[in-house]
Amino acid sequence: MSETSTIDATASMAAAELADRRSRRDAPSARRAPAWLRPRVWLPTAITFAVAAFLWQFVAITNPYVIPTLDAIGASLAGDPAMYWANFLVTLQEVVIGAASGIVAGFLLAVVMAEFRLIERAVMPLVVVVMVTPIVAIAPALVVAFGFGMMPKYIVTALVVFFPMLVNSLAGLRDVDVKALDVFRTLHASKWEIFRDLRFPGCMPYVFAGLRIALPLAVVGAAVAEFVAAGQQAGLGSLVTTSAAQANLPVTWASIALLCVMGVLLVSLLAVVRKRVLWWSDGEVVAR
Amino acid sequence: MSAAVIDAGVRVSNVSKSFGADGSRVTVLDDVSLTIGMGEFVSVIGPSGCGKSTLLKVVAGLIDADGGTVQIDGSTVRAAAADKRIGLVPQSPALLPWRTVLDNVRLPLTVNRRADAGRAIRDPKELLASFGLGHAMQKYPGQLSGGMQQRAAIARAFVFDPAIMLMDEPFSALDEMNRDQQRLGLLDFWQSNRKAVLFVTHSVPEAIMLSDRIVVMAAHPGRIDRIIDVDLPRPRTEEAYASDEFRELERVVRTALHEVMGGAHV
Repeated sequence: MSETSTIDATASMAAAELADRRSRRDAPSARRAPAWLRPRVWLPTAITFAVAAFLWQFVAITNPYVIPTLDAIGASLAGDPAMYWANFLVTLQEVVIGAASGIVAGFLLAVVMAEFRLIERAVMPLVVVVMVTPIVAIAPALVVAFGFGMMPKYIVTALVVFFPMLVNSLAGLRDVDVKALDVFRTLHASKWEIFRDLRFPGCMPYVFAGLRIALPLAVVGAAVAEFVAAGQQAGLGSLVTTSAAQANLPVTWASIALLCVMGVLLVSLLAVVRKRVLWWSDGEVVAR
Repeated sequence: MSAAVIDAGVRVSNVSKSFGADGSRVTVLDDVSLTIGMGEFVSVIGPSGCGKSTLLKVVAGLIDADGGTVQIDGSTVRAAAADKRIGLVPQSPALLPWRTVLDNVRLPLTVNRRADAGRAIRDPKELLASFGLGHAMQKYPGQLSGGMQQRAAIARAFVFDPAIMLMDEPFSALDEMNRDQQRLGLLDFWQSNRKAVLFVTHSVPEAIMLSDRIVVMAAHPGRIDRIIDVDLPRPRTEEAYASDEFRELERVVRTALHEVMGGAHV
């Protein structure tokens, strides 16, 4: 083989490899026919839901005092949409404000701990102690301290979100590409520059893994806080407890269904954002 | 001009380094001295455990030596780094996957900008074009082959016009055919952009093809065994591989490695 043909062959191999990689991951604006349109994708899910609904109806009709029928739940929702919507918004507000505070606080503490080991050693044990305390036990105490307003709900929600955010962000900030860090260090980049250009974007897969755990937990936190302290503004969690106490099962289950919808919406929104932000990441990081 | 010119290049003097606890200390570098002149290409070759990568890390300022000194253009490594005079090409390309190839190559220009005053910054686009990556500037590292990624990493090290270039087995992850192509590409580029280069490798032909001098290191403790001059004429092309001088040098280097490794087969 002559020299030029060797080089040509290598070049065309590289081109083929490039084309192959391009087809696998056309970043960042890949657009293909959405997968969920194909029956192979949505049909199994649809069948599972249909079977579950059928079983539900069967139990509901044969045991009317255990669970209400689906149409009774639907009728309750349709009968007073304004009431449900108002309560939905109250709980959503608790989730959004509480989770946002917990996320920001957890991430910021992770940044501080990643930079200063001493702070991690000093603060982490306290954080763990707080986190192993059952949140349902803390909630009533917070009501005593902060009253029946929104504050205890924000705090409980922020608390349950805080820990997964802290632990995952810290893991992400630590799991830095060492070879890339070497390049930054030979350039005498400042700590801030290393954070801005390397650690912060690099930790995002972990942050999103933390968010995937934290957001559903935020709904749990808000609901639990409402169980303990209904307050003037009820919310879906309060609706569950008050209606269950009156054995008003359609309202109870309609509220539960709305809490479920809220969780699904938050997780779906997260998935959309993740796809836009983390298109470059190879795979999902396993959350702590 | 002043002392800076006289001391130009890298001067490693009596550097030693050991790792581990008191009882089981391993001497990785034992009294290593070496100079690399301006525009000189020096390769370091040796068995694993000879400390060649540690030597590179000490010169890069990533590891502090236990004893001895390293001077770059007459100043300390720390001062040279602060002045952005050290270009590093690590073993893996270490490109940032969320940045385009162009933005990866621009990276050194966005950090420690204080050191950029009055220096000859290269146009990243022209640089990428001369590395054959002109068509790939707006692509992301994940879309590139390994060889192209490594070339981008080399362009990233050249973009801020450092005085010395440290390369830690940059082609070791590539397959042989691709590797040879990258080697010739680097040689070609360096020919017209002479830097002092410290190049760690474990490939004998690579060391001969690229270098002015080959430093053969021995292990346990890591030390310089001998330095072999490579007087093949420059500019070198692929034809050099076929020359008698090349074969003779290959024999000399392999014999040296053979002796260094205590007669074990190389």
